[in-house]
Amino acid sequence: MPDALMLAAALLAAGTGMGWLALAMDVHWEQACGDAPHSPARAQGLRIAGALSLGVSLGLCLAVDHPSMAALVWVMILAAATLVVAFTLTWRPRWLAVLAWGADGKP
Amino acid sequence: MFQNFRLSMAWLHTWFGLALGFVLMVVFFFGALSVFDREIDRWAIPSSRVEPQPMPSFDRVLRPVFEAMQPNRKSVDAMRSEVNGPMPERFDTPRRWGAYTTHRDPVLGLFAGFEVPNAKDPETAIWASRTIDPRTGASLPEDRLKIGSQFFYPLHYSLTFTWKDLGYWIVGLAALVMLAALVSGVVMHRKIFRELFTFRPGKSRQRSLLDLHNLTGVVALPFHFFFAFTGLVIFASIYFPVTHTQLEPLHELHEKLDSEETGLPHERAGIAAPIASVDAMVAEAQRRWAARGMAGEVGFLAVQFPKDANGYVSVYRAGTDRIALTGEGIHFKASTGELLREEPPSSAVDSLNEFLTGLHLQHFRHWLLRWLYVLGGLAGCACIATGFLFFVEKRKKQHARAGSQGSRIVDALGVTTVTGMMIAALGILIANRLLPDVLPAGWPERGDLERYAFWGTWVLAMAHAFWRSAPVAQGQVNPAWHEQCRGIVVLAVTAVLLNWLTTGDHLVKTLAEPYWPVAGVDLFLLASAGIAALAARKIRRKAKETAHARPGKPTEAAHA
Repeated sequence: MPDALMLAAALLAAGTGMGWLALAMDVHWEQACGDAPHSPARAQGLRIAGALSLGVSLGLCLAVDHPSMAALVWVMILAAATLVVAFTLTWRPRWLAVLAWGADGKP
Repeated sequence: MFQNFRLSMAWLHTWFGLALGFVLMVVFFFGALSVFDREIDRWAIPSSRVEPQPMPSFDRVLRPVFEAMQPNRKSVDAMRSEVNGPMPERFDTPRRWGAYTTHRDPVLGLFAGFEVPNAKDPETAIWASRTIDPRTGASLPEDRLKIGSQFFYPLHYSLTFTWKDLGYWIVGLAALVMLAALVSGVVMHRKIFRELFTFRPGKSRQRSLLDLHNLTGVVALPFHFFFAFTGLVIFASIYFPVTHTQLEPLHELHEKLDSEETGLPHERAGIAAPIASVDAMVAEAQRRWAARGMAGEVGFLAVQFPKDANGYVSVYRAGTDRIALTGEGIHFKASTGELLREEPPSSAVDSLNEFLTGLHLQHFRHWLLRWLYVLGGLAGCACIATGFLFFVEKRKKQHARAGSQGSRIVDALGVTTVTGMMIAALGILIANRLLPDVLPAGWPERGDLERYAFWGTWVLAMAHAFWRSAPVAQGQVNPAWHEQCRGIVVLAVTAVLLNWLTTGDHLVKTLAEPYWPVAGVDLFLLASAGIAALAARKIRRKAKETAHARPGKPTEAAHA
């Protein structure tokens, strides 16, 4: 069963990572956080966090399966994560604000 | 011819995509369903709704079945023209016996090939096949069509057009065009990363269709690319049959050299010999796999030249734990059980080929990856379908003004291949549940009737799509879209209800046991019904808006 949990975590990490990468873009930041200010420094931070999170997702996939299989699982997980983030931005953009640290003015 | 590279790519993408998109839609949709072909088989053949079984004992279960197997009347009749003189009553010289199973198969498929006396080509073999319950060896009725693995799956790679292998060629051409469409699509798409997460249904119909087209195309781009490519790799020997055309003499020589190198006999000795215990050989093969650190079950078991002194037994491992499609084959002399050959690890080229083939054919045990493949396949369908819709949407006002019927025809074909195809798939499932267990004498075979139901429903859906298509010529929406979506809702729910009524396996029961193959198919049908209902409502509302909107309203999407 831990394998299933690890893969679920990989999905979650990929979704979070893609969410951060999306928030690093001005247009999606506005959709999620409205008028909360967006700085280039924060965008950079979000991009790095996003990339790291995708890396964690790959690591989890590699821990579960043979590398050749893990690579495929990861690529497909990225596709699923991107679709989830895109549709969230379409229908429930505010939900992504969960991932935007400090958007409400607090540090 | 074109002002710039991007425009020429756009032309290629639009017209090649349109011409072969209809085929690609079929390939993607039934490919996605084929990921769960064995599960669809369980739904379609209620008597086989049991847990997957390992390869049974050869000595006790398989051997008596193989010895009783004979080609059926149909294949004997089909072979007549390839033989000088009359066909024999019985075929006594088996050339090869084989049994094949996967970790998802509760039933076991067997095949036997026989030498054909007086055949014009001495290599000719006649084949018999049978499906048995591996627990008892009892044969399953031959007239049951395995809808998943014997219909949807062949539809995916050959459209079931067997005449001169035409289907393979059409699908191969479509795969090639798919690769070209992906490359040209990437060239045309100016904001591939900036718009990666973008879908704006609130904007104009053209814009939102293009968003969805880009989104579903780009997110699964590696999937689309690799599946089109590996599909071509798998059938490379059909597309480039050099070993049986230009290089035929070389091929023969190669087979002989190969058999010298491997020590596996190339032909019969002509001397009768008994078969030793194959179970002991299987146990030895499993011991050898375990010694190599890859203990596993048997996936494929074959006896070449049974009951001949040159006979040998081949044992292949089921590749459930890796992508690459390898068998780690181990071969034994059939009469003594002596080890003839243990296949060495693959060379780099072979490994690559095995990886690419395995990636597509998925023998592995990984449920998440299976579902992700379904997602990739359906994303491909959405991409192609939105491509059609965009083509129509972009042109229909202009066509309406010019009095052209072009977009009307494309739109009707779009309805046929998108919703019509799903209706046909539901048609075969419903026919499967409605046909009586025993057909009256004189009727065609049950499997044939199910196939007719599929094609018949599809033709009806096509007729409906064209019959209702007139509004498109006035720049409006074809009502067939939402009507067929509603049809999908009704048919999908009907299929689930019929499964309950005819087998007693309703969802509460299959989920409680749990028996996932049947529960999964039922849930998938209900989910499709739900999505189709939403789509029907949405399309209807949009169609009404368009009908009331002023004609000639400018649109946003300018490119593509």
